[in-house]
Formats: sequence, structure tokens, C-alpha cells
Amino acid sequence: MASNKKYWKSVEELNENSSIVDTLKHNEFVEEIPTDDFLGDKESLEASSTTRRDFLKYVGFTTAAASLAACEGPVVKSIPYVIQPDDIIPGVADYYATTMADGFDFANVLVKVREGRPIKIEPNKEVNGSTNARVQASVLSLYDSLRLRGPKADGQDISWDEANSQIGAKLNEIKAAGLPIAVLTGTMASPSTNKLIAALNDTFGNVNHVVYDAVSESAALDAFEAMYGERALPDYKFENAEVIVSVGADFLGDWQGGDFEAGYAKGRVPKKGKMSRHIQFESNMTLSGANADKRIALTPSDQIKVLARLYATMTGGPVTMEITPLTEAVSKAAAQLKKAGSKAVVVTGIQDKNAQLLALAINKVLNSEVIDVAAPRYVREGNDTRVAALVADMNAGKVGALIMNGVNPAYTLPNADEFVAGLEKVQLSVAFSMQDTETVAKSQYALATPHYLESWGDVQIKKGHYSLVQPTIQPLFDTRQFQDALLAWTGNTTSYYEYLKAEWNAEVLGGTSWNQALHDGVFASEGTSEVAEVSVDMGAVLGALPVMRGEGFQLNLYTKTGLGDGQQANNPWLQEFPDPITRTSWDNYLTMSKADADANGVVNYNVANGALNGSLVELTVNGKTEVLPVYVQPGQAKGSLGLALGYGRTNGMKSEMLTGKNAYAFYNDFNTFQGNATIKVLSEEHEFACVQLHNTLMGRGDIVKETDLATYNDSSLDSKHTWNKVPVVSMDHKEVEATSVDLWDAFDRSVGHHFNLSIDLNACTGCGACVIACHAENNVPVVGKEEIRKSRDMHWLRIDRYYSHEEDFGSDVEKKLAGTGVNGYKDTMAELEDPAENPSVAFQPVMCQHCNHAPCETVCPVAATSHGRQGQNQMAYNRCVGTRYCANNCPYKVRRFNWFKYAENSEFDYNMNDDLGKMVLNPDVTVRSRGVMEKCSMCIQMTQATILKAKKEGRPVNTNEFETACSNACSTGAMVFGDVNNKEDKVTSLAEDKRAYHLLEHIGTRPNVVYQVKVKNTTEA
Amino acid sequence: MSSKVVQAMYNDDDILMDAVKETRAAKHHIEEVYTPFPVHGLEKAMGLKDTRIAITAFMYGCVGFCFSVWMMNYIMIEDWPQDIGGKPSFSFFLNMPSFVPIMFEMSVFFAAHLMVITFYMRSKLWPFKKAENPDPRTTDDMFVMEVTVDGNEDELVSFLEKTGTVEIKVTEKH
Amino acid sequence: MSSHYEAPIRKPLVIGDKSYHDITVEVAAPVEGKANKLWWVAFSISLAAFLWGLGAIIYTIGTGIGVWGLNKTVGWAWDITNFVWWVGIGHAGTLISAVLLLFRQKWRMGINRSAEAMTIFSVVQAGLFPVIHMGRVWDAHYVLPIPNQFGTLWTNFNSPLLWDVFAISTYLSVSLVFWWTGLLPDFAMLRDRAVKPFQKKIYSLVSFGWTGRAKDWQRFEEVSLVLAGLATPLVLSVHTIVSFDFATSVIPGWHTTIFPPYFVAGAVFSGFAMVNTLLIIMRKVSNLEAYITKQHIELMNIIIMITGSIVGCAYITELFIAWYSGVEYEQYAFLNRATGPYAWAYWIMMSCNVFSPQFMWFKKLRTSIMFSFVISIVVNIGMWFERFVIIVTSLHRDYLPSSWTMFSPTFVDIAIYVGTIGFFFVLFLLYARTFPVIAQAEVKSILKSSGDNYKKLRDGNHE
Repeated sequence: MASNKKYWKSVEELNENSSIVDTLKHNEFVEEIPTDDFLGDKESLEASSTTRRDFLKYVGFTTAAASLAACEGPVVKSIPYVIQPDDIIPGVADYYATTMADGFDFANVLVKVREGRPIKIEPNKEVNGSTNARVQASVLSLYDSLRLRGPKADGQDISWDEANSQIGAKLNEIKAAGLPIAVLTGTMASPSTNKLIAALNDTFGNVNHVVYDAVSESAALDAFEAMYGERALPDYKFENAEVIVSVGADFLGDWQGGDFEAGYAKGRVPKKGKMSRHIQFESNMTLSGANADKRIALTPSDQIKVLARLYATMTGGPVTMEITPLTEAVSKAAAQLKKAGSKAVVVTGIQDKNAQLLALAINKVLNSEVIDVAAPRYVREGNDTRVAALVADMNAGKVGALIMNGVNPAYTLPNADEFVAGLEKVQLSVAFSMQDTETVAKSQYALATPHYLESWGDVQIKKGHYSLVQPTIQPLFDTRQFQDALLAWTGNTTSYYEYLKAEWNAEVLGGTSWNQALHDGVFASEGTSEVAEVSVDMGAVLGALPVMRGEGFQLNLYTKTGLGDGQQANNPWLQEFPDPITRTSWDNYLTMSKADADANGVVNYNVANGALNGSLVELTVNGKTEVLPVYVQPGQAKGSLGLALGYGRTNGMKSEMLTGKNAYAFYNDFNTFQGNATIKVLSEEHEFACVQLHNTLMGRGDIVKETDLATYNDSSLDSKHTWNKVPVVSMDHKEVEATSVDLWDAFDRSVGHHFNLSIDLNACTGCGACVIACHAENNVPVVGKEEIRKSRDMHWLRIDRYYSHEEDFGSDVEKKLAGTGVNGYKDTMAELEDPAENPSVAFQPVMCQHCNHAPCETVCPVAATSHGRQGQNQMAYNRCVGTRYCANNCPYKVRRFNWFKYAENSEFDYNMNDDLGKMVLNPDVTVRSRGVMEKCSMCIQMTQATILKAKKEGRPVNTNEFETACSNACSTGAMVFGDVNNKEDKVTSLAEDKRAYHLLEHIGTRPNVVYQVKVKNTTEA
Repeated sequence: MSSKVVQAMYNDDDILMDAVKETRAAKHHIEEVYTPFPVHGLEKAMGLKDTRIAITAFMYGCVGFCFSVWMMNYIMIEDWPQDIGGKPSFSFFLNMPSFVPIMFEMSVFFAAHLMVITFYMRSKLWPFKKAENPDPRTTDDMFVMEVTVDGNEDELVSFLEKTGTVEIKVTEKH
Repeated sequence: MSSHYEAPIRKPLVIGDKSYHDITVEVAAPVEGKANKLWWVAFSISLAAFLWGLGAIIYTIGTGIGVWGLNKTVGWAWDITNFVWWVGIGHAGTLISAVLLLFRQKWRMGINRSAEAMTIFSVVQAGLFPVIHMGRVWDAHYVLPIPNQFGTLWTNFNSPLLWDVFAISTYLSVSLVFWWTGLLPDFAMLRDRAVKPFQKKIYSLVSFGWTGRAKDWQRFEEVSLVLAGLATPLVLSVHTIVSFDFATSVIPGWHTTIFPPYFVAGAVFSGFAMVNTLLIIMRKVSNLEAYITKQHIELMNIIIMITGSIVGCAYITELFIAWYSGVEYEQYAFLNRATGPYAWAYWIMMSCNVFSPQFMWFKKLRTSIMFSFVISIVVNIGMWFERFVIIVTSLHRDYLPSSWTMFSPTFVDIAIYVGTIGFFFVLFLLYARTFPVIAQAEVKSILKSSGDNYKKLRDGNHE
């Protein structure tokens, strides 16, 4: 109908026969268009210089111009705050004290927050907090793009309110049915949470709270309970130790929650001519063994015997179990223990209550000051028997509801399949989890929990030592804490934050300020508790010691410094983190002694481009079988195998991270010792990603200088010519120190700051926290397994690990010198390439040495790298054209080249390739482009920030105020950074210490990194 | 203005040499000689002056040397001295050893190229330059002597015929 | 005739009864004639190789240097090996034309043109590598002393790599003008013979209107002489500076004061070998046996033998000094070369460079065309391995054992190397078809003194 609407053009149309209307009908325009006026007058046309061609030219040009103008650079959105928060100054980092407690790692940390993004974890030094590699890397797990993003029911997203109401309803049903509710959590050591679980019990009745540690310390807990009446772990103050005897305890690793290296290192640095003596009995080569003065490799079964014998000799009881040739070693150890008396300690990692009791008993006999039973630690609470019972009950259908928090039994349980079967029989299964784990996949309700950097909470790491967890960023996803859920279910309307605050004010703080506690992150309540003494029948204990019979290998399971129990398996930093001992990344593998390898025809060899290949074997331990690669490990006890837990995760993992095999399958009855392991060598081979392909020092004594305590204390010796030789040259026919000779006048470096970094080889345990800290601080890219195999790791800071060919590095040098004549030399060198059966080990962190006479600087054609006023060797990335000449000419091989585009490149699908992962990048450090050289900058962004801070506050920089990421992360104090132009700075004295030496000093590069000679305590009592 | 020349052609360098000598002895002015290859002693016979091109090369070399010294002193010492591997960028003479190679290269560069350019300019050689040899065979196996005519054409021709020429041409030369 | 006297004892350098015109005709023949099948086969093969290499280069630039086999420890391998190899080859030409000119060696005249051509083409290949081995080729201009907008961003004149930039570019451009100046009379010859108008146009363009005036010849000879005088130290300086890339570094096996003479000798060695390779083919293909005689080949072989022995001495000296220095890093570097994982490369180098040239002591062998050809190839293989040994075996195990690793090339490394060989032959084959491959003007000037027929005649007169 709309078609026949009539539109009026003018009033004239009212008039029937109007000429105007008529004309209008016929021609479009009322008036003639004066075309003739325009085209008609010839001369104006001819006069105009614009021809048709010109016109087209102009059109063409303007179009081109327009289209050119359209091409702009990519638009980078930066959105300003609508309302700027008072506490955020763009470009200035805020620090928050909080606590990491994921059930495996417990640490008081400071979180560096930039523009509202947590970007780095640092140890909270004010409260003696310390961080390991995993804690350092945990910040990246926050930005894991595969995290659970919201609550799910049977895989379908639901809202929290629905979830809570549904679960609440179900719980009531179960309560009605009178079935028990099981709460399965990891070690939380959280008083408030325990209270909430108790509250849950009050609401629904017979709630059974089972604590489960993936890697269990149950035996130690039971032993301590048996002897001291409390289910906890004793604390050890290794700084007070003069003699440490460890039987299979990797206390520099994750033994009993770890975090002992700081104390240990204190005792290891010779002071007033004294340092501790450390004897290690173990089967795998562990960090502790690598740092020990004396390491005896022996199978797990022998470890038990050694412990028993040690106890016997200490207590003078009946000496059972003759174990030549170890007898002598044991009695020597015993003698030294006796000698040191209360300054000695014995620790053991044998997962058996009785073995643990023996160790405690010995320490009691010694009346050891090292072990602290008054203020025990709560970092492990798991109870194996109860976990086993729970699984049984589940399968028996005796469990109504299973509520899990922060555990992944479907992956970590040796009998995971049983557990999963049981889970089906449970009416209600709820999994609180941060990640999309194997367990989550099997549970009815998957409730997403926030990362600890998004959470509130409290942790009692040890008795009287309370720590607070506070959020440093708004939750990234639709997550809620376990505790909030508990509150909701128990009909408590307050938020967990309110509850926590109330709890602390009531229970913990005792009137002191909550804000202060929150600021410090820690509250230490004085008031010591008395220790309950329970007498134990040691005879029975000795009798009940386990005996590992049966032929075949004995498998010793362990956790790696990188992945630990495997919670952070989807963290690329940790996957690429080279294991301190094997220097291998992206894998777990069987470690086997050379002798066994040869006997079984297992090989490790380097392919054409140097990469390491190893045989695959089929490992069988009571019925379970797995195909695993073998890494031939010097120092591995004959007849024993090592295998790391924490690998082989499958759910919620990027494809690149699907590495290694799940060793929990072999973790029967939570014992790291497994007998009767048999292997079948397969024809296939495995490709390792190993960053260090040559293991020995080739007798090059000036790279890692080592001496023994006696020599070090011998004041008659001139260190410069004996145990800390300096290179000399002949000048004017006189022998002078090489460093005193110079071709040119040097620059004046006495004005302003001049930075040095001191690295104490005695204090460095090789833990690798610095490596990850450097990763985080400097936006070091992750390159992946394939590139690592091509020797293209990008780590700015690496920790070289060397094995000796003889029993120690000194004898290597002698052997080298002994090899005379062409053939003699040739053969000796060939031999020196192989490490000893049980070598001594040296760790040496190496980063750019910031040479004052830098070989890299002189050869750069474009002057892209030159020396800073403050001693730093600087890289101008924008100027670098990538000739790689500098890297070739670097004697320390610390320069790293960007072979590819590592950021925003789907070929390298790691954190720099996803929007979430990129949030961890440090805005103060450039992300390097393809084709440029990069290397350690001595954290110039940090030193400059320190200087600016001082400037703003109108004061000189304080003594020891300068820090680098590595020195900051180093909990053992091995790395000390500072300004040598400030005489008070700690580093100044260290640089002049008689232990101080420069790496490859004879080249004359004048480095600004100084190492401290490694001293070993070889005194046998 | 145009001038008449007699072009006497020879097919052997030795004959040419004798001819040149005779012609000069007979006080005829040799305008130009074209040869397919350098005939040694010819310039002497013709009484040409020695070329000074070698001297220019030397001077160009000096220029190159000075330029390189100035350049490196300006760049490395004056304009933006940096601490490069501890090398003494505060003093040209201490840092000089590293500059020697480039001083040498620059000297050679200047000397060689400027000399060749000079040569091309002086001898009027450059792309698109029209060749002016009287006979294409002069680049093959013919030797041409051009003698200017000043009114004595016939006498000159007959004289030249005696010098063992194989061909004689009288042309206008512009 | 006395002016053309040459001792009868000297062998004729131009064989057969030749007149000036014969020379003209025979030199012009390859240019004026049609290409034979052999040429087309050779050309298409080298073109294919060239294109393959080009593809590999584009792939490298598009993806990153990571497509090569390099790693954190071995930052240079095939790239710089090829660079030094090509530069080395690029030495013979200038050496032949300059040094032999200064020494008034007439026998150079038969071969200097092609030798110089070879020089220029191989220096082009060499120049390629320092550019493409950069991580950021698109910023290659940073190596030139061009300031930034603030005028304060400069290159680093302490860097041997920058010395290289200057040395290589000077060398390339100087040998180019040297070559071209020498070409002018011969281009002129072609121009004056040319019948096809296009040919005439081109040759008159490139001959710069050369006419052959007496004065021009005088200047011409002067210029050639001075250029020779300049080129001689230049050619020595170039490989000296290339050797500085290594000699001034701190890496054991690189940091060696013997490098400059040793590299120069090596360069001459490989250069002459390559000249032999090319000429033995060319004299057959463009039948120039009369001008490139056995005599030439033999003389070249003698030089190869001598330089080969010099290089051999250098190898031995290196080993001795390493031992004598008493520095364990030095000692190990050389032990590792001879007995380490790359020993095979070391012994290939030894046998090809030190042992094989010794056959040239026997006249029978050094006058055998076929044998000389084989040896010339062997020598070039050996010289490639010399550079590989120096670069890779020194880097892969240097100071800190923790960084020791190995290198193995990827197909891209190989493709690029083969590509440059292809490129080189493409250029050379085109040259052989369009350029006067023999300096005919110069040859004419020695015809009477060293021509076969004239010698017979003259020596006849003498008795």
C-alpha cells in the first residue's frame, strides 16, 4: 500500500492544468543546466592548463596518496585508568608480603606488582623468607591460560550460587542418609581453614578430613609423633652443625618440605677457619650429595643397614648387620658425630617410621642442637594410612561425599585407577582446583579456585610462626576460594576475608595490629611450648626395620628441583629449567650407573649436532610397566635406579608441556624405595634436551678452584701462589701478576658506582632459584625442547655442573700434568672426558662477567655493545645487527642469540605467545626481536631504579642497597651484588677476599664478577 | 675550423716506428698515432711528454689517508667516545693501532679510484663517448699515423709512401 | 728486431704461426660465434644451483638464522667458512695481474683477464656472506659510518669485522676498475669488428670510446702499473684483515699471530687452484690452447706447490707454537683439532693441502693437464676444510667445557653454499661468452718477443 502514496512537490499541483507541473513532469530540472556556458566558451577551456590527462593524473595521485595515508603502523591500545588508584603510580612497582602454600612449597614472599600485575616473586627477607625455583616460577602459573575459569558441574559451566545450592542440597541428603563426608586436602597448615572444616563437621556431622601429600613424609611425621607426641616435622638449624650425616635425605632438595639450604650454606662458608663437615649416604646423585664433603653411593637397602649400624655404633648397642666395605665409612662417620657431639646431626630420607625413629634417637643421643623439636614445622601433614583407608572406603561405597581441595589423586596416587573407580561410587564428588587436572575431569563438580596471588589465607609454617596470604590482583577468572565455599555451605554469610581477620584478631594477634601483620606477611608469637617426651622401645624399632629383598634393581623415586610434585607442570619456565644435576630439561628419566648401563647394553651418546640420545628401557615394578629413557648418571649407586615424580601430567597442559612419564604409578605405599625393579632394553632411542653436553672440567683447575679446609687455614701458605694461583707474566724479565700489566692507560673507574657480583662456590648449592628469577626479571624467552637440543637455550644465567674424573678436581689437574708426550697428553685428555664412578661435583653459576676489557665489545662492528660508566657491559638491542661475532669471542659463552622470533610466534607457543602469559613480562625490560644478541645486563633496570629512588629521596644510595634478580633470589647468600666504590658494601671486602678469583683471569678480561674459591672439609676424625 | 690530415697506415709496429722517426726527422708534424696495442718507445719517438698521472695518484693517496685519520678521530675520539673493551678512546694515539688497517684501505681506495677517474677524464673516456679512431682496423692490426697538412699535401703523400705504408688517405679533420 | 729479443731458452707463450689479425680473430671468436651445447648445459645447471641457493637465502631472511645449524657456542660455521674460502679464491686474479706485472712476467698475459674476472666474481660471492649471516640483514647499513638523526651513532673502528667491510669493498671496487681499464682496448676491438648494431652499441658503450691514441696508451700503461703497485699491497692486506677476524680474538686456535701470512699464502694457493680449474676448462671449450699453453699450467702448478708447502709449514708451526706456549687451552685446541670429534675434517685438510700439492715436484705430473685439473679441485676442497677447521673446531670446544657442543649443517647451509657456486659459474659463463677472455692487446705486444713463429725466425737468424 505504501506504493501509492502521493508526495507533494509544490502548491502548484493543486491546480489541475498548471504549466509548471507539466514541465516538471517532463524534465528533471526546473531550469536548464548551463552546460553551454561552460563547454561553450572555447577560450576559457583552452586557457585552462588542466587537460584530461592531467585530470586523470591528479585523480591517480590523490587515490595513491589516500591509500598511502591509510597504511599506518599497528595500533597499540593503552587504556588509561578512568580513576587512578591512589596506591598505583604507573612505572613504580608495589610490593606485597604474602605466603605461598600449595601443599608442597611453603614460602614467605614479596610480590612485585606493576600497574596491578604481579610480575615477580621475591623472598620476604625481613622474615628470613626464602624462595626456590618453583616459588620463583609460581607467578607464571597465575597466568596459565589453561586454568579452570569457572565452576563446572559434569563439565558444564554453572554459576557459583547454583553450584553452592546444589552441593548444599546434596550434602543435606547425604547427612540424612547418614553417610560420612570426606574432605581430602593437601597440607594447608591453615588454622582458619581447619576451623572451617570443623564448622562443616558441626553442620553436617561425621566429616572426615584426610590430609594427603602427593609426595609423602608420613613416616617422618609418625616417627616424630611417636617420640615427641605431636604429628609434625622437626626443624633443623644446619647453621649450628659441625658434622652433618645424611642417610638418603636430600635436605637441600625437597626433603621434609625443604628450605634448609640457607642455614646449611651459613655453616659451609669457612669462618674463623671453621666450616661444617657433611657426609652423605645416598643412591641417587642429589643436590645434597653433590654438595657433600664425602659422598658414599649405596643402594636403598644398604642405606637402611647403614642407618641401623650407625645407630648401633653411636649407642654402643649390639652392632648388627656387617656391611663391608661400608663398615669403615660408617664407623668413621660415627666417630665424627661423637666428636662433634651436640653440634652434630643425623638426618634420613628413608620413608619408614622406624628408620626415622632411629635418626631421631641418634640425634637424641647426641643431644643435638641442630634439630629443633620445640618449634616443629607443619609443612607436611599427610597421612598415608588414612588416605589408603579413604580409597578403600570409597570403593566399598562407604563414603557419601568427597570434597577435594588442591589435590590431584587421580594423577598422584599409585593406585589412581582404584581411586577413580571409588570416585564413581561416591554420591557427591567436588574438586576445588586451580587447574584442569585429571581429578577434576573425574569429579561431578569442578570448582575453580584462585591462584594464591589472588587469595586470602593463613599458614602456620612452624609452631608460633603464622603467615598471611593476601591477594595481589583481582581474580582473573570466576573463581572462589575453598574457604568461601565452606562458609557458604555452613550458612555463614561473612566473606572469608572477614572471617580470617576476625580469627586472627581473636586467636593469633593477641592485640597487635592486623594491618602490621598483613604488611609484614608474618606474625611470630613468642611463648614456647614444652616438648612431650615419649619413650620408645628402640629394640623393637631395630627389629621392625624394613629389609628389601629380591634381585633386580632398587628404584629410588625423587622429586626434581624444577617440577617438584608436578603441580606446576604446565609452567614453561620450570619445564625448560635444566635439572641442576643432569642439566637436562623437558624430561624425566631413569638415572643409572655407568657400570649397570654397560652391563645392560644401555647407551648415552651425542649425535652429530652434539645433542644427547639415550636408550629406552621398559621398567617393571611389581606389575606396573612404563617405557622410560635412561640417563647414565655418574654417582648413581650400582644396582639402583632413580626416577623423578611430577612428570607425565596429561590434563590442562599445553601440548609442548606433555613431557616425561608419570612415576607416581611406581610410588607404591608412598615409599620412595621400590625393590625388584627390572628393565628390558628396547631398540628405540630417546632424544634428551640437555644444556650441558660435556660433564668434566678436563683438569682445568683455574675454572673451578677448589681446596681443602686444612690448606685454606694454613696461614704459612701464600694463597696467590698455592691454592688460589693468580696467572703471572714476565715483564722486564720479572714475573708479575698478569692483571697488573696493561697495554693502554685504563679508564678511571673510581668515580660513581662500580658494580661487582661475588659468587661463593661454597655457599652455592646449585638450587637454581636465580635462574628462574633471571627468567622472570629479564623476560628471557622459553625456546622449547627442540631448540634446547640444538644447544640454543636462552638462559642469561646458567649453573654449570662439573664432575671430577678422579675422586676430586685437584687430582684431575695432577693427572693432566702427568700426561706427558704427545700420546700421553692425547690419552690423558681422552680419559679426562669421562666422569668418575662417584665423582665430586662442583656448581658454578655463570652469567655475563661484565669484563672491563670485554672481548665482545671490541669486535662489534656497529658498537652495539659497549661498557657502561658503572662497569656494566651493555647491549643496545636496537643497534645490534646480529653478526654473532661477540658471542664467538666471549670466552665465557654467555651471549645468547635470538635465532627466531620467540615472542608472539605460534612456533614457540609458550607464555610470550598468549595474551595471559604476556602479563608476566617485566615492562622495564625490552622483549628482544629476532636476530639480535642478548645477555645478562647485571639487571641495569634494577640498579638504575635504586639510584633514582635514592635521588628522589635526596640521599646517597645506602650500603648494600643495590641488588640484581639473582642476588636477590639467592637464599644461601652465595651471590652478593654491590658497589665496589662504596667501601662499606659487602661485595667490596669479598672482591678483595683471599678466596676471591676471576674466571679465566689469564685472558686479561678483568671481569666484574668475582668467584670465591670452593673449600671442602676433608678432615676425617 | 677544419684541418687536412694525411693518414698513413702500416701493418707492422716496427715499420711504423721507423716511419715515425723519419717523419719527425723530415719536420712533419705528427698529429696522432693510433695503434692496436702499446708500441713501446713510440711515445719517445713521437716526442710525447711523460704522463704525470702517477703523481696525482700519490696525492690522492695522501688525501685518502688524511681523510681516514680525520674521520676516525672525529667518530671514535671526538664526537662520541665510548669505552669499548677498555680501549683508550680518550686518546687518538693510544687507540691508533686499531685504526691502521682502515687508514691503509682508505688511502688505496682514494688513490686508485681518483687516479682512474683522472685518466678517463684526461683521455676523454666515458660511457657513450663516440670513438674517433680513423679506421676500425686500428684496434685490430693496423697502425695509423696522422700527419697534418699545411699546403704541402702532394709532397707529404709522396714522402709518406716511401715509409712503407700500405695505404694512404687524405681527410678533413674537425 | 733487437727490441723484441728474448732468450731462446724461454718457451714461446703464443704457439703456432700467428699474426696480429689471427689473435684478434681467435679472441673474438667465442664472442661472435654461437654458444655450443656444452655451454648451455653448464649454464642451466649453474643457474639451477643459483636459484636454489637464492631460495635458501630468502628462507633464511624470512624465518631467522635459526634455520642454519648454528648454536650458542658455534656462532659461525659455514657462513664465514664460505666467506673466507671465496675471498681466498678471489686473490689469484689480482695477484697474477698485479704482482706478475710488477715482476714483468709476460706469461701472465694469457691468463690475467680470466683470472681477474674470477677474482671479481668470487669476491661478489664472498661479499654475500657477511651480509646474509647477519641476524638483521635489513639493518646491514649500520656497518657503514652513517650517523643517526642525532649525528652521534657511529660504527666501531676497533672491530676487525668493520675493517673487513672497508677492505672487501675497496678490494672489489679497485680490482673492478683495474679489470675494466684493461678491458677497454679489447672492447674497442670487438666494437670495431661488430656487425650486429646491438652488439656495436653495447661494445661502444662499454669501451668508453677507446681509440688507441699514443698518449692514451702511455697513460694506460702508467695507470696499469700504478694500479698494480696499489693492488699488490691491497691484495695482501685484504686477506691479512680477514685473518684479523680470528687473530685479534681471544679464542684458542683463532688467537694466532701467524695468521696473516698463513692466510695470504692459503689464499694464493686456493686462488691459483681455482684459476687452473677454470682455465683448463676454458682453453678447451673456447679452443684457446694457443694462448693458454701447458707452459702456463705448469707455472701455475709450481706456484700451487710452493704456496701449498708454505701453508703446510704454517700448520706445523701452529702445532709447535701451541705446544711451546705451554698454555693448556692452546694445547688442547690443537690436540682437539687433530684428534677430537672433527679430526676427520682436519685430516682431509692436511691431505688435500699439504700432501697432494707435493706431486707437483714431478715434471711429468705438473705438465699433465688432467692431473693438474684433479689437483686443483682437491686443493679447493682442502682449502674449504681449512677454514671449516679453523672456525668450527676452535669454537666448539673453547674455554669452559660446560659450553662445549657440536655443529652440523642443515640443508639451508648446504643450499646457500651450492647456490654461491652456481652464481659464480653463471657469472663466469656469461663472461666467457661476452668478454674478450684474453687480453689480446697485451698479447699482441708480446707476440714478436714470445711468439712461436717469431722466436723460430729470430733464433734462426742468430746462428
